[in-house]
Amino acid sequence: MKTVGNRKRWLLTAVAALAMPGAAYAATQGTAGSTSTGSISISATVPGRVQLSGLSDVAFGTVDPTVAAVQAEDVCVWSNTSGRGYTVTATGSGTSNAFTLSDGTNTIPYSVEWAGSSGQSSGTALVSGTGLGGLSSSATNPTCSAGPIASASLIVRMSAASLQAAIASSYLGTLTLVVAPQ
Amino acid sequence: MAPLSSDTGSFERGRDRNGSRLSALSAIRVVAFAFAILNAGPASAGDTVRISGLSDVAFGSISNFTGDSVQSQSLCLYSKSPPANNYRITASGSGPGGAFLLSSGSATLPFEVQWSDLAGQTAGSQLLPNRPLTAQHSPVGAGAADDCSSGPGTTASLVIILRSGSLSAASSGSYSGTLSLLVAPE
Repeated sequence: MKTVGNRKRWLLTAVAALAMPGAAYAATQGTAGSTSTGSISISATVPGRVQLSGLSDVAFGTVDPTVAAVQAEDVCVWSNTSGRGYTVTATGSGTSNAFTLSDGTNTIPYSVEWAGSSGQSSGTALVSGTGLGGLSSSATNPTCSAGPIASASLIVRMSAASLQAAIASSYLGTLTLVVAPQ
Repeated sequence: MAPLSSDTGSFERGRDRNGSRLSALSAIRVVAFAFAILNAGPASAGDTVRISGLSDVAFGSISNFTGDSVQSQSLCLYSKSPPANNYRITASGSGPGGAFLLSSGSATLPFEVQWSDLAGQTAGSQLLPNRPLTAQHSPVGAGAADDCSSGPGTTASLVIILRSGSLSAASSGSYSGTLSLLVAPE
């Protein structure tokens, strides 16, 4: 009878363990004695996240139409995926998200390039609304406040031809950048 | 006692080959052993301790990478070790060498452990893996229930911390690990 009772208890324990997937890691309490040992499980989920920071406005000032205008800046992209990978997608404020500046009537096209490391003056050309993948971040902190102070380069360029074709005026636009884990 | 006997045997064999060097080693070992005994405190045969009321710690999905994630719990630490009911506590994690590490496949996430001999605390003394924290006091000793069912329900606090720097540097994933706590009377 004792053996049957033990089997029943074992079976009930096994069923309970199967019904509660976390039971295998349940805390154990110590017993009274010359020493006592207890244990707990600790768990945490780190979701895939990215962050883009360190962006600055781009002001070309008064430009010489005979020379292409280029502005490059270092930015911080942080990604915590296993390969620190991310994609970047850019959209402009022109018609159909085109990369254009406007004075309200006239427009000037510009191009956008992205480099996966800081300090670059050229990179891979971005197409509005199309993600550029295969990038990897060296940032170890979401805002680069620790580790490398920047991890990518943003380059905005206006060609001499575009400037020569533009009507003299003051032009303005916005560029939106979206990064996503990859 | 077994390790001490084994150690003495090794000394006896080695002395025949190089008596003076091993004599010095033996002296160091004797001093170290004596230190270990003295460091163990004046616990006597009737002293009893018990740790209970522990709960698993689940941080869930981390949403804040710029601040530390902290989880604390109050638990029962009973120590019948007159006159002061003091105890020591030693923690070890499931990382290599008892390191306080959570793992997700090959990725790891370090955590910190703090201990307070008061209940209801959110900070305490830092515990290092396999290093005892001594001179802790329990208000629950002789004459009380060893599960704190009489008197204060909890007598100590355990604090687990995931530092923001570690969270930012960690790869995404589901991390888990275990923490063992060994208490002994002093």
